Amino acid sequence: MRQKKIAPKILGLLSGLVVIFLWTPVIVIIIFSFSTNKFGVQWDGFTLKWYAELLRNDAVRDALMRSVFIATVTVIASSIIGTMTAYGLYKLHFKGKKFLRTSILLPIVFPAVVTGAALLVFFTRFIHIPLGLPSIIIAHIVFSSPLAVFVILGRMQRIDWAWEEAAMDLGATRKRTFFRVIGPQLMPAIAAAAMLIFPWSFDDFVVTYFVAGIGSTTLPIYVFSQLRFGATPVLNTIGTLFVVLTIAGQGAMYLMQKRG
Amino acid sequence: MIKSSNKENENRDDICLEVKDVVKQYPGVTAVDHVSLQIKKGEIFSFLGSSGCGKSTLLRLIAGLESMDQGDIFIAGKCVNDLPPYERDCSTVFQSHALFPHMNVADNIAFGLVERKVAKSEINKKVEEKVALVNLGGMEDRLPEQLSGGQQQRVALARSLILEPMILLLDEPLAALDRKLRKEMQLELKRIQREVGTTFLNVTHDQKEALSVSDRIGVMNEGRFLQIGRPDEIYEAPRSVFVASFMGASNIFTGKVVGEEDDKIELETKDGRRTFALRSEDINNDEIAGFSIHPELIRIEPDKADDQQVDPEKTTIFHGKINEVFYQGDFSEFTVFLKEMDKVLIVNLNRGDIGHGRRLSEGQDVVVSWECRHNNILAA
Repeated sequence: MRQKKIAPKILGLLSGLVVIFLWTPVIVIIIFSFSTNKFGVQWDGFTLKWYAELLRNDAVRDALMRSVFIATVTVIASSIIGTMTAYGLYKLHFKGKKFLRTSILLPIVFPAVVTGAALLVFFTRFIHIPLGLPSIIIAHIVFSSPLAVFVILGRMQRIDWAWEEAAMDLGATRKRTFFRVIGPQLMPAIAAAAMLIFPWSFDDFVVTYFVAGIGSTTLPIYVFSQLRFGATPVLNTIGTLFVVLTIAGQGAMYLMQKRG
Repeated sequence: MIKSSNKENENRDDICLEVKDVVKQYPGVTAVDHVSLQIKKGEIFSFLGSSGCGKSTLLRLIAGLESMDQGDIFIAGKCVNDLPPYERDCSTVFQSHALFPHMNVADNIAFGLVERKVAKSEINKKVEEKVALVNLGGMEDRLPEQLSGGQQQRVALARSLILEPMILLLDEPLAALDRKLRKEMQLELKRIQREVGTTFLNVTHDQKEALSVSDRIGVMNEGRFLQIGRPDEIYEAPRSVFVASFMGASNIFTGKVVGEEDDKIELETKDGRRTFALRSEDINNDEIAGFSIHPELIRIEPDKADDQQVDPEKTTIFHGKINEVFYQGDFSEFTVFLKEMDKVLIVNLNRGDIGHGRRLSEGQDVVVSWECRHNNILAA
């Protein structure tokens, strides 16, 4: 009898430890972002001054705005590219479709270091795209679009394509059919892809670090550069910002998928 | 296969749909094989056949959802060969209904009119009219997922009919419904058609449905029409072995013509048994491959020793033994082994005809008989 009870206890303990290791750093960062301690490592009392400082700090604000801008453009471009690619992969029949479908996965499974280095060489040696915003955005689209393709492809498998035929039969052209019938049906998937891609692009450090060049500091790169001066409480506030944004994104995605 | 009518040119205006020598091939199969057909205005015409016979493909060719390899299609005298679906004067009701799930009933029905940029007030008026036609009053704001199968069917009908098409194409619209509902919708379909007067082209694999809703039926197999005619013609006088067995004339005898007198012909089965049948205008004697008899036209009597005399020119008679009885409720199906010819005959008797006192049971020796005029001769 006793032996039987031990296994579940060990399992429970292990699971508990995993959860604690996952969440404690995150929670500590959030708590200390409100602490008056100027090294941000212990609780001396509640304050919002680090958030105020965050807003006053031009470098942070620039990096934040840049990251939001990049993520927004990436989300829009990836959603469009992803929808078009998924539509083509689902509806068209051509040679090498399977190969193409699999190869699109590559940017997702490749180590980010490889992707980043490859893109850097490609941008500077081959197509001469200036390093900075354009190169960062292109790089982000490269690793984000495949994700959009696969999220949207999944939804397409659940679409009754008689809807398309019915719409055309009732007098809608192909374009009108897409905007009135197929598009609205894909919307939950497109939104879910967007919610997934936004934090992905916003958080990305490795690939961005390679292709950013000088003067285009994104928020993750700024955080990394600040580590040289030791952890400041402002970093805690940035961390909190990341966590909140990411959780909000995932939550929204969950709701969208549930509704779709 | 199909006799072309000489009146073809006189009644041009009566023709709603004309299909001329249409061919559609898929890799390895000819789905539609040189088919020609005319459908008159205001009739309900059914393509009847088992799955894979090409009936749905032919419907999709007419709708413009597939492209054909050869031939011409005319809707109301206008050649539509090169027109996309949205420019053809026809509308399709799909088997899955294909209602747009994010639009409510009213928006679904209005879809086609919105595409045609009809004025809002006009749309509202027509939607109201069609909602009433299909008995969906009060459901305008519901989403398709909140409707039953039959109600979805009605929305699909209204959505197509609101465009006032020359011809409404129905692609097995009742196949997804359960039996009771299907029966109900068949009546409903017919009522709606009589009310609006639109030509209906219905595709189905259900013989009963075809018989009860259609003005004319075309029986299809392997991409061709085997027989086209009124429901009673198709059922009572199938012209080929395939049509006969498909329409439930399950007793088919192979044989040939051995004699003629007046309006009768004498047939001999391959076992040497002789019987008579009425002469047919459609089939030449040398084309005759046999005859069929429907199970419900056969009588069964217990085999008594004193063989009653019957006129062989009027009655076909065989001796047999009851093999099995399948009780069906309103009727019973008997399989009778015919002693003279090593063949099993299927006989259906209504509950009222089985008679009192003289129960028919398995293993019993019986005499089966039917009137010769019911023998339906078949071409190969």
